[in-house]
Amino acid sequence: MKIKNGKDFWAGLMFMGFGLAFWAVASPPKLLVDLLTGSFGASTWGYPMGSAVRMGPAYFPAVLGGMLAVLGAMVFFRAFASSIQNPLKVFTFRPAVFIAAVVVGTIAFFSADGLKDYQTVQNLIVGIALVLFFGAFGPRALFVVLLAVVAYGYLLKPLGIVLATVVLVVMSALGGHDFRKKEIVILTVVMVLFAVFVFVKGLGLPFNIWPGE
Amino acid sequence: MEIDIIHNLAIGFGVALSWQNLMYCFFGVVLGTLIGVLPGIGPVATIAMLLPVTFNLSPISALIMLAGIYYGAQYGGSTTAILVNLPGESSSVVTCLDGYQMARQGRAGPALAIAAIGSFFAGCVSTVIIALFAPPLAEVALKFGPAEYFSLMVLGLVAATVLAHGSLIKAIAMTILGLLLGLVGTDVNSGIARFSFGLSELSDGIGFVQVAMGVFGFAEIITNLEQGESREVFVNKVTGLMPTWQDIKDSTPAILRGTALGSMLGILPGGGALLASFAAYTLEKKVSKNSANFGKGAIQGVAAPESANNAGAQTSFIPLLTLGIPSNPVMALMIGAMMIQGIAPGPQVMTERPQLFWGMIASMWVGNLMLVILNLPLIGMWVKLLTVPYRILYPSILMFCCVGVYSLSNQPFDLLITAFFGLLGYVFTKLECEPAPLILGFILGPLMEENLRRAMLLSRGDPSVFFTKPISGTLLFVSFVLLLIVMAPAVRKTREEAFQEG
Repeated sequence: MKIKNGKDFWAGLMFMGFGLAFWAVASPPKLLVDLLTGSFGASTWGYPMGSAVRMGPAYFPAVLGGMLAVLGAMVFFRAFASSIQNPLKVFTFRPAVFIAAVVVGTIAFFSADGLKDYQTVQNLIVGIALVLFFGAFGPRALFVVLLAVVAYGYLLKPLGIVLATVVLVVMSALGGHDFRKKEIVILTVVMVLFAVFVFVKGLGLPFNIWPGE
Repeated sequence: MEIDIIHNLAIGFGVALSWQNLMYCFFGVVLGTLIGVLPGIGPVATIAMLLPVTFNLSPISALIMLAGIYYGAQYGGSTTAILVNLPGESSSVVTCLDGYQMARQGRAGPALAIAAIGSFFAGCVSTVIIALFAPPLAEVALKFGPAEYFSLMVLGLVAATVLAHGSLIKAIAMTILGLLLGLVGTDVNSGIARFSFGLSELSDGIGFVQVAMGVFGFAEIITNLEQGESREVFVNKVTGLMPTWQDIKDSTPAILRGTALGSMLGILPGGGALLASFAAYTLEKKVSKNSANFGKGAIQGVAAPESANNAGAQTSFIPLLTLGIPSNPVMALMIGAMMIQGIAPGPQVMTERPQLFWGMIASMWVGNLMLVILNLPLIGMWVKLLTVPYRILYPSILMFCCVGVYSLSNQPFDLLITAFFGLLGYVFTKLECEPAPLILGFILGPLMEENLRRAMLLSRGDPSVFFTKPISGTLLFVSFVLLLIVMAPAVRKTREEAFQEG
């Protein structure tokens, strides 16, 4: 068995993953839940299935999830018998970084209750997980641009729109091929002025201009 | 009947010609041309960015402006296609083939002129078509029950997958993934927050703007950056806009055919500007006497797709206005805009708010007139824009997108979700999974579930109602036949070829 079409191989895996995930969250198999939770027959995982007459919240997603998994399997197996040749490496994927992201993410999830009183620590762990997650895929542009977007969102309130815009523009410019200092300085100034005068003063969006306002 | 239409159009023009609506229409078409000219930002991202702003406008002004962006982008897209050989808009992909060749032969002027004239003609015709066909369709739609709506949505989704690029199975899978993502959030019937993983931000569901902006906007910026830029602009070669008599004689039938085909394909669920331009180019190449000239600067190859994409852009408002069902991502955003204004999209809009309905239609004609003026004499201004390098453009685009998303509800989490969908969008592009069906499924997911539940409750759990009710049965039958046709080997081959032309 040789993988002929790498794109179909990964697409099939992705669809199967999504399909099974939606199906399992909506209506997880009893045995699996019992084994995982150790509470036989008494777990509250999943949503009520209902009947065909009165469909419960699990009905539609479980059916769709199953369909998606089947279609994913079809795409997956087609990859082995395809007339279209594509290499297995479709885009950069760093498994080690991805696994690290999953580990840190899991820690963040299960430590949420314990760290209730230490919000900064909790936020830091979640932040690290996200940085690792976006860094696991694709080219540098993806990492830099998406991180700039997320940073903008979380900095807008504490830092104000002026500094957040500086971060967004400079950071995203770093994602490109040629970074010209002079140009970026001018662009940043123009964007900051635009943001302050058009968005905040002109359109009246409720953003603070400077930190701590 | 005819008197009715004249009367209705009079109401419409009364609304559209108020100075305030003229202003918003102008703003919409200027912005549309701008983003049409600029590669790397499309009408979906722009409309998504402006949604929060429309909250403060009257419903009619908001819709007039947003509609202007969509058809304005069709005009602007041709400029970039002809001068830079880059589609400014995805629906101008085929215009590159002959338009750019004409520019290289020093005939950029006539190519631009014919594209604008063709678009204007198509815009006028399709405005009339909406006025003629929307009312009877809405009347039929008023009789629809949950079973009919469910089947109609099935047809819409099937059509969207059939018309998507590339593999059919992947397109179906993307639709289902879209439906599933649309279900995230609180279930209306039971009040259970589904797939929210305990996050309160997810209990209201994932916002449509976030998904569209991520999958279309951010993913496109990332792929553009990855590829690096290479552009050759024929900025100084636009001299003499006037086409020759021969040009006009050659392109008139092409414009007529393009308009007719574009109008038809726009009405289809899943249709719109993109499909219309592809189909028109293919048809024109088949029927033309000098098909050997295609790809070497044939003016018909510019006239037909440019007329068709504008016609398709406008007639795709018909399913939105009459059935309340979006046929493409832009229409899905228009639904979002209507809901922000507290208007439930559907057949009742026309009877309950005739001013809104007819005002919007009339504004399309007004907008097209503005566009011809904007695009022909002022072409030099738009061309200058093309000399702005992408390395300056994309940080600005990114900032507008971020402000747009953030201002929806002032939640940083919205930007995190958008970034996540940006990543997904990048993966989809790399794996050749077309995102348009995902967006449609996302919009229709909750609606479909609701109508399925209601229909099943009414029929006491008997699924045969979907087949035995005449309208519902017909819709499902048509969907089934569509799928069968696409799976037939001969059609499959031509479908792949048709999409390969770009």
